[in-house]
Amino acid sequence: MRHLFHLFALEIVMEKLKLIIAREYMSMIGRKSFIVMTILLPVLMILVIALPLLIGYLNDAGSDVEQVAVIDETGRYAAAIENNDLYSFVPMRADSVGDPRAFYDKTSGSLAAVVVIPRDVDSTAQVTVYSDKTVNVSLKSHIARALSDTITQAHIAAYGVPNLQRMIDEANVDIDVKSVKWGEDGSETESSTEIAMVIGMVLAFLTYMFVLMYGAMIMNGVIEEKTNRIVEVIVSSCKPFQLMMGKIIGVALVGLTQMAIWAVVMAGITAITGSVLGVGALVDPGTAMTQANMPDDATVDMDLVNVWNAVMSVNYGQILSCFVLYFIGGYLLYASLFAGFGSAVDQANDASQFTTPIILIMIVALYAGMACMENPSGPMAVWCSIIPFTSPIVMMVRLPYDVPFWQLALSIVLLYATAAGMIWIASRIYRTGILLYGKKTSFKEIVRWLK
Amino acid sequence: MNHFIEVNDVVKQYDGHMALNHVSVNVPQGCIYGLLGPNGAGKTSLIRIINLITRPDSGTVMLDGHPINEGDVANIGYLPEERGLYKKMKVGEQIVYLARLKGMSKADAVREMQVWLERFDLVEWRDKKLEALSKGMQQKVQFIATVLHRPRLLIFDEPFSGFDPVNADQLKVEILRLNREGATILFSTHNMESVEAVCERISLINHSQVVLEGRVDEIRQTHKKNIISVDLPQGQALEPCERLYTQLPPAMGSKETLIRLADGVAVREAIAWLNDHYTLNGFHEVLPSMHEIFVETVKG
Repeated sequence: MRHLFHLFALEIVMEKLKLIIAREYMSMIGRKSFIVMTILLPVLMILVIALPLLIGYLNDAGSDVEQVAVIDETGRYAAAIENNDLYSFVPMRADSVGDPRAFYDKTSGSLAAVVVIPRDVDSTAQVTVYSDKTVNVSLKSHIARALSDTITQAHIAAYGVPNLQRMIDEANVDIDVKSVKWGEDGSETESSTEIAMVIGMVLAFLTYMFVLMYGAMIMNGVIEEKTNRIVEVIVSSCKPFQLMMGKIIGVALVGLTQMAIWAVVMAGITAITGSVLGVGALVDPGTAMTQANMPDDATVDMDLVNVWNAVMSVNYGQILSCFVLYFIGGYLLYASLFAGFGSAVDQANDASQFTTPIILIMIVALYAGMACMENPSGPMAVWCSIIPFTSPIVMMVRLPYDVPFWQLALSIVLLYATAAGMIWIASRIYRTGILLYGKKTSFKEIVRWLK
Repeated sequence: MNHFIEVNDVVKQYDGHMALNHVSVNVPQGCIYGLLGPNGAGKTSLIRIINLITRPDSGTVMLDGHPINEGDVANIGYLPEERGLYKKMKVGEQIVYLARLKGMSKADAVREMQVWLERFDLVEWRDKKLEALSKGMQQKVQFIATVLHRPRLLIFDEPFSGFDPVNADQLKVEILRLNREGATILFSTHNMESVEAVCERISLINHSQVVLEGRVDEIRQTHKKNIISVDLPQGQALEPCERLYTQLPPAMGSKETLIRLADGVAVREAIAWLNDHYTLNGFHEVLPSMHEIFVETVKG
C-alpha cells in the first residue's frame, strides 16, 4: 500500500515535470527568435566561409589592370616579371629614367608603383617597390616569386655544370607523412587525424556555443519568472526543483531540436556532395589507390575524393557517442549554474557579476582545447580533459588521439558527479533566490543559502 | 470545533530574523478568515508555509485533520499579493497550464475555464496573449487561475487591490459564492472595511506573533470603549455631567453627539438619566471599527 502511494506520488511528480518541460519547450519553439536563429546561424556560417572567397573573387574581377614600371639596372631580369590579372609590368631602361621619384611624379598617377631592380641584385637579393600608396601584398609576392625563380636559375646556370637544374630537382625531396594506426586486432587503418581533430574542434566549439547560448536563455527565463512574480504561483503548485529541472530539460530539448534541424540539413548537403563527387559513403581505400594512378586531368577530382574518404574514415561512432555524453554532462553542469545564479538576481543587468566567472571558465576551456591540438597528450591537455569544467570541450579535441580508457572513464564519471552536485547546489540557491526580492545578493550570501 | 487548518506553534527564521514566533492559527471549515497585520509582520511567511512553498523551522500545519503534504497543493488555491503571469502566453493556455499543474485534467480545465471566462466576460480574449489585456482583465485571469481547480482552501493576499469598485464588487460576489459552495477562505489584507464586511474571524499578527484572535463581532465587543451616540433634537446640546459621562468631540464631518460613560456606570443608568433631562430621538452604543482596533493593537 505504501509502495503504491509512493508510486502514485512519483507519477504526479513526473506529470508536473512533463507539463513544465512542455511549456518551456513550446514557449521557446514558437518564438520568432528561435526560428530566426535556426535559419540564420547556418547562413551565417556559410557566409563566414564563403565571404572571403567571394571578396577575393570580387577583388580580382572588379579592379582594372594597373601599370607598374620596372626599372631594371641590370638589364637582364625585367622580362621575368610577367603580367597578371591585376598588374601589367612595363620594363624601363635605367639610363632613360634617371631618378625614380621624379619619373613617378611625372606620370601623374597613371603608374601604381615603380619597381627598381638594382645592379647588385645578384649579391644582395633585394629589390625595392616605390609608390605613394601602400604597396599591395599580392604585388610584392608576385614580384618576389618571379624574380627568385629567374635569378636562382641564372645562378645555377652560372656554375656551368650541365644538367645541374635537373640534378637539383631530382635531389629535392618532399616528405609526405602518412599515419597508420594499428588496431588491437592487428589491422592497419590509415588514420585521418587532422580531419578527426577538426571535427573534434567543431564539436567542442558547438558545445561551447550551445552551453553559453542556452545557459543564458535559462538564466533569462528564471529572471523573467522571478520579476513577473509568476514564480510564487508556480511553486505553490510544484517544487522549485521541478520548475528548475523542467526549465533546464525544456531548454535542452529546444537546443537539440535546433541541432537536429541543422543535422538534417547537413546530411542533405553531404548526400548531395557525395553523389556529385561520384563516391559512395564507404569507398574502399584500395579503389582510391588505384584511382590515384589515373591520368593527370583527374588530379583535382582525386584531391576532393581523398579528402572525402578521409572525412568518411573517421570513427564517428566513438566521437559522436562521446560528444553526446560530454555535451549532456557539460550542459547540465553549466545550465544549473546559470539557473541558480539567475534566481539570485532581480534584473538581468545584475546578473553579470555571476555570469562573468562562468564565461571566463568556458573561454579558458576553449583556449585549452585549441592548445591541445598542438600537444594532445601533454599534461595540460590531460588535466583539462579530466577536470569537469573544461572536460566537455577539451576532451572533444583529444578524442582522435586515442585517449586511454581510464582517463575517458574518469573524466566522464567526474563530469556527471560534478553535474549532479551542481544541480543540487543550484536547487538550494534557486529555492531561496526565487522568493527573495529587492536585495542585491552577493556570493557570500549565496554560500550561506547552501547550508 | 472542526478546524480545516490548524497551524500549531510555528516558528520560522530567516538569517537570524524571526519571521514567525510560535504562531498558532485555527481556521474552521467553511470560514472566511482574515489574516491581518502591518507590512513585514509575518503574514506572507505564514501563507507560504500553509502553501507548502517553505517549511517551518518547527511546529506543524494540519489540513483537514492530517499533516499537510505535497498532495494537498491540489486542494489549495493561492492568489499572491504580487500578481504575476506569463506575459507572452495566451490567456487560455495559461489558465489551463496552471490548473493542470494543480492536478486537474486537461478536459476538465478547459470546460471549467469556459464557464469562468463567460462569467468574467473574457471569452473573446482566450486566444490573446496576456500582455494584450488591460491590468484589470489580467487580474481577473489570475483570479480564474487561482480558483479553477475547485480548491477547498483559497488563500487571497490583498485580493481587491488593483480592482476598480465595480470589479471589486463582482470579485466579492464570486468569493462569497465560492465560500457558500464550501471553500474555506483565508484573506490577507489591510483593507479593514472588507474585513468587517466579509470575515467571520481574524488573526492579527504583529512582530511575528499573533496578538489578537477571534470572531470579528466578539473582538469589537471586547474592544468597546463605553461610547454612546445620542441623537438629540435639532438645536439641543448636552450639559456636562462628570458623574455619569464625558462628552467627546464629534467625529470629523459628523453631527453625532458622542459620550463616554464614566467608569462603573451602566448604559441603562446613563440613558435613564438622559431621558429624564432631555428629549432623546434615539441612542446606540458605538462599537470600534476594525480599523481602530488594528491601529490601537499595533501601536499600543
